[in-house]
Amino acid sequence: MRLMVEARNLRKTYKRHDGSTIEAVKGVDLEIRQGEIFSLLGPNGAGKTTTISMISGLVEPTEGDASIGGFSITKQPMDAKRLMGFVPQEIALYPDLSARQNLAFFGRMYGLAGKTLSRRVDELVEFVDLSDRQNDRIDTFSGGMKRRINLAAGLLNSPPLIYMDEPTVGIDPQSRRRILDTVKLLREEEGMTVLYTTHLMEEAQELSDRVGIMDHGEIIAMGTQAELTQQVGEEDRLEFTIGAQEVAEALLERIQQETVGVTRILHNPPEQLSDESSESTPSRLTVFAKRGRTALPQIIQNLDAAGVEIQSVAVREPDLEAVFLALTGRALRD
Amino acid sequence: MRKILVFASKELYTAFRDRNLMLLMFATPLVLSTIIGLAFGGIGGNGDSELPDFADIPVAVVNLDEGVDTQEVITLPDQFANLDALPFDPGDLASAFNQAGLGPDQLSQDGTTLNFGDQLAAILLSQPVEGTGTTTTEGFDLAELGCSLLDESETIGPSSLAAGGTLDDLLDATSVDSADQARAAVDNGDFAAAVIIPPGFSRRIMPHFAFDGDLRLRTQPPGEDGAVEVYANNGRPISARILHSLVAGIVNQFVRVSVAIGATLETSVNTLASSILRGDIDLSTVDLPASVAALQELDATVLEPLGCLITPGANNITVAQPPLEHIQEAPRFARTIVPIGASQAVFFALFTGVFGIHSIYEERKYWTLQRLIVSPTPRIFLLAGKLLGNLVTVFLQILILLAALTLIASVVIGQPTLIWGTNFAAIIIVTLALALCVSGLGVFVVGLAKTPEQVNLFGPMINISLAVLGGAFGFALPEQAARFSLIYWGVDAFMQLANAQTDVAVNLLVLFGQGILLFLVGAWLFKRRLDL
Ligand SMILES: Nc1ncnc2c1ncn2[C@@H]1O[C@H](COP(=O)(O)OP(=O)(O)OP(=O)(O)O)[C@@H](O)[C@H]1O
Ligand SMILES: [Mg+2]
Repeated sequence: MRLMVEARNLRKTYKRHDGSTIEAVKGVDLEIRQGEIFSLLGPNGAGKTTTISMISGLVEPTEGDASIGGFSITKQPMDAKRLMGFVPQEIALYPDLSARQNLAFFGRMYGLAGKTLSRRVDELVEFVDLSDRQNDRIDTFSGGMKRRINLAAGLLNSPPLIYMDEPTVGIDPQSRRRILDTVKLLREEEGMTVLYTTHLMEEAQELSDRVGIMDHGEIIAMGTQAELTQQVGEEDRLEFTIGAQEVAEALLERIQQETVGVTRILHNPPEQLSDESSESTPSRLTVFAKRGRTALPQIIQNLDAAGVEIQSVAVREPDLEAVFLALTGRALRD
Repeated sequence: MRKILVFASKELYTAFRDRNLMLLMFATPLVLSTIIGLAFGGIGGNGDSELPDFADIPVAVVNLDEGVDTQEVITLPDQFANLDALPFDPGDLASAFNQAGLGPDQLSQDGTTLNFGDQLAAILLSQPVEGTGTTTTEGFDLAELGCSLLDESETIGPSSLAAGGTLDDLLDATSVDSADQARAAVDNGDFAAAVIIPPGFSRRIMPHFAFDGDLRLRTQPPGEDGAVEVYANNGRPISARILHSLVAGIVNQFVRVSVAIGATLETSVNTLASSILRGDIDLSTVDLPASVAALQELDATVLEPLGCLITPGANNITVAQPPLEHIQEAPRFARTIVPIGASQAVFFALFTGVFGIHSIYEERKYWTLQRLIVSPTPRIFLLAGKLLGNLVTVFLQILILLAALTLIASVVIGQPTLIWGTNFAAIIIVTLALALCVSGLGVFVVGLAKTPEQVNLFGPMINISLAVLGGAFGFALPEQAARFSLIYWGVDAFMQLANAQTDVAVNLLVLFGQGILLFLVGAWLFKRRLDL
């Protein structure tokens, strides 16, 4: 299978204004195969955008290199860039130009001109279903509409490879749905290779052939979804939301020992919202258990007996969230 | 390469469709210039009849006249061509004159020269006028010869112009040594005109005599040489015309004197000669000293009517002035709006320069810069496109402001007036040089500043300093200081062009030099802004 993107030992160290340095990406190896949807899943600040920036030629890697379709991004940047489309996390459009003007301008910067250009712009506004608004200024668009034009702008050069950096951030469910469907469509109909970053487990789960899980500048796990979930075994995850109260360590130990199938319990204590506020978020109790539904009644009983107020319970089968949790001890959303 | 143009035209497009920017770029400078222009220039249409309007016309005076040695005029053998025909020995006459104290001996002893050029120059320079002929001889002082029938003021030019003001008020005359120097200074606009008194001026005015076939003394027509030249600045036709009539008035005055002398001599000598010829006078009995004494008594005032009656036919003055045709001296409002409008245009262009380049930070914030960098476009193209776009925007801004000011001036004056002059090619080149400078400064400031906040702080500070130095705020600083400001050079160039001068080479050199330097250093510094 041909590799579309091949990154070796990518490292990026940023200098802060105060002179200190921050290692945003710490030696990432990445292989994205032609025609696949690859997701980079990780929480805020994991280094997803920095990674994409390096393999798109936006920022120079402090160390390492990446090749795109065989062209080194540092040594043959023009050849490499011709192969890729880019949908940045931000709305990278001129707010005071119309959607069409934006697309036409960026199209020209990709070397399109004349009829080819106007035909491509027509296709794309049609594709993201905004033909009727194409002559309106971007700053009159809703968030979802901006996102769609932002995506269209990444497709102007009909690239075989597209990078999409959190393309669904800050939009309504319908718009998100459209975008997810679009990504699948691009791969199915155009055979495009997609690198998709997100901090939402559901999106990675729905779209990806393979997933790289990122945290603190490193890829901590990579593979197909099945391969990854196998890493955490067959365990279900029982998630309890409990009142803002102290839970004795002894109680948790007793539950783990007495209940059949329970392997591990994580307790996330309540977070104080602010210093003055007495209100706090409910704390969360995550119990890993084989055959979780069987174990559930006994756990509830134990908690009840100890006077723990249970607000909600959810049973989750093994998923990427569980993988992340297992690897980092933290939930993806935190 | 095409992408540079694509990017540049995007810059241009976004600049010209931003309403707030348009307001800053165009409305503000136009309103400001118009208000200041009206306040200082007045609405008055032509205003060329008002004296204050034409006070202190700068004039260069070049006096090359070497004067006339009186001996040349009076020494008979030279002067009277067919002297041999005289039935008496001129030597006797000469010695008789000498005895009377009015002969060639006295005159040559004095080494007296008549210099009308000195007189003319002194009048123009408002210096005390000395006697026309500085002889020590009594009774024949040429300075006394005048025409009392003429209005006093007419002796210095058209009375209407001098009314209420002395010549000193009207002219701001400076003595200049060489004619070429003076012409160059006029071309520069330093002077409205130059009065060039050529060598031989006095000789031309001084009558020359010869006897004709009938042995009658005739005044010879003046030669071709010796006409005064008024070299005028094309852009100031009215000033030039005033000066021309002024000089003509003075010269005519000299000519009247000259003609009077000629006529007197002619009459006297001819009467004398015919008496001798008819035998009425026996030369041996003539008491020459007595005759001479009688001649001596001839008072200049006797000749006055003659001086007044004879209008000089000789063209004593030429005006070397390019054809004026439709060009008129700029009305007051136009002359006020040119420096004000030009400085305001450049001042506001400075902001376009800095903030146009500063928009790179905006492109970064909106991630459009990132999108461009990810496209297969070399960064150097992005840099070039940005700079080119800014340069063209600034260029068009200044040009449009010049055009708009022309319109405003035309409306205020009440007739179409090309306030910037008619040398459109030069106007465009000066504008281009300014745009290069202004845009280069923008690149330099943004390149030098470490953060967008620094640009916001230092950009306006630098612009305002340049405006103060360059006199854009209505008060002028010493020229040595002003020369540090590109506004000074730009405004100076525009004023020269408005005065129909083409000598803006130094201005262009300064502006282009400064612009290219700022651009190169600025671009080198600015390159970093494209790195993320
Ligand atoms: N230009 C920069 N200068 C300094 N630090 C930076 C810069 N860009 C990113 N960082 C830091 O690098 C780390 C990784 O940031 P990055 O944007 O790659 O994360 P991310 O995974 O994309 O996060 P998110 O989901 O919030 O977009 C963060 O700690 C961030 O503060
Ligand atoms: Mg990101």
